[in-house]
Amino acid sequence: MTPPETETETASGEGGETRTLYGSPEELPEPAREALGDLLLVLADTKRVLGIHYADWILGSPTLEAGIACSAMAQDEWGHGRILYAMLDDFGMDPERLEHERGPSEYRSSELLDEPTDSWPELLALNLLLDTALSVQIEAMRESRLEPLHHKVSKILDEERYHFEHARGWTARMASTDRGREATGEPFREAWRACLRWFGSEEDELASGLAAEGIVDAAPGELRRRWVMRVAPSVAEVEPHLVQETEDGWGSAVDPDWEGWEPRTRRLRDAPGPDDEAILSRVRGDRNRSLLGE
Amino acid sequence: MSDGFDVDRIYEVFARQKREDRLEHVGAITAPNASLARVYAWQTYDEATWFEMVVAPRDSFEAVNREEAPFTLEPREEGAAT
Repeated sequence: MTPPETETETASGEGGETRTLYGSPEELPEPAREALGDLLLVLADTKRVLGIHYADWILGSPTLEAGIACSAMAQDEWGHGRILYAMLDDFGMDPERLEHERGPSEYRSSELLDEPTDSWPELLALNLLLDTALSVQIEAMRESRLEPLHHKVSKILDEERYHFEHARGWTARMASTDRGREATGEPFREAWRACLRWFGSEEDELASGLAAEGIVDAAPGELRRRWVMRVAPSVAEVEPHLVQETEDGWGSAVDPDWEGWEPRTRRLRDAPGPDDEAILSRVRGDRNRSLLGE
Repeated sequence: MSDGFDVDRIYEVFARQKREDRLEHVGAITAPNASLARVYAWQTYDEATWFEMVVAPRDSFEAVNREEAPFTLEPREEGAAT
């Protein structure tokens, strides 16, 4: 393991920030290490399960090209999940068990993903709002003081550019007719509520601790602001009363609802977890394991 | 077909693998807007690590030496986009 390396050693004060780089998670101070392990598991699970939702639309998408895009996005999400699960080895978790042996109540994927996606507008809401929330969170690790982290996020973010562009392009298309706007209304409202609180509250000590420690570059409130700024122009095209223009860009027209929110898992406490038969059996690869007699 | 949504257009896709290569025509995709055209082109023609890829609507091309429509060599439709 690389010992901690001090990039600059200067007195504290104006422009004199001391920035220690961590070569591995073992070097992190304890509350931050645990909080980061939690966050990486949230991201890994959400990406893995989101990948299933994209995969479900490879066939039956509105156009052949959209099906190809869903296939590419599913592969991307699964690849990102694999990178993130592998990192959890260094947090005292067992990636093999994480990927293949957990039940619904142990998953930390967003509750938006608990049931299969029934309509294209629902998938579009996940594509624009949830997938972008994940990217905003991951982008906040680009300059992380934990070196292994900031080395891994570039590939993820490169691929995510196209997910966002896909979502923007499709939202613009849905916005072009009354029927399209009507179809996107409810899925966008539901995803908006869930994603708005997904970053956590300003009082969330674990998430704020990660920012204070320089593992991520901003606290939950700022991440939420960045997410709103990024998705609001598209949301305004289909569901304008969710957002409002402000002096410096965009804001949410509704406040986050913290009722039943569990900061550590970033889920609603009473939500059941991903559907075991329709979603998790494929996430875990149950069929493959039964073929191999494991 | 238009169902009231933005009408799909055909976009031609050009790409090159290295800076010193010339852009080559690699294919076409159908998309309702430029945003989706970029995504679809990138994800459909992913057989190489492209240095550069660009797209343009087929109907933005001008035939130079032939009467027929560019790319298809089919007779031009009356009133087609120029």
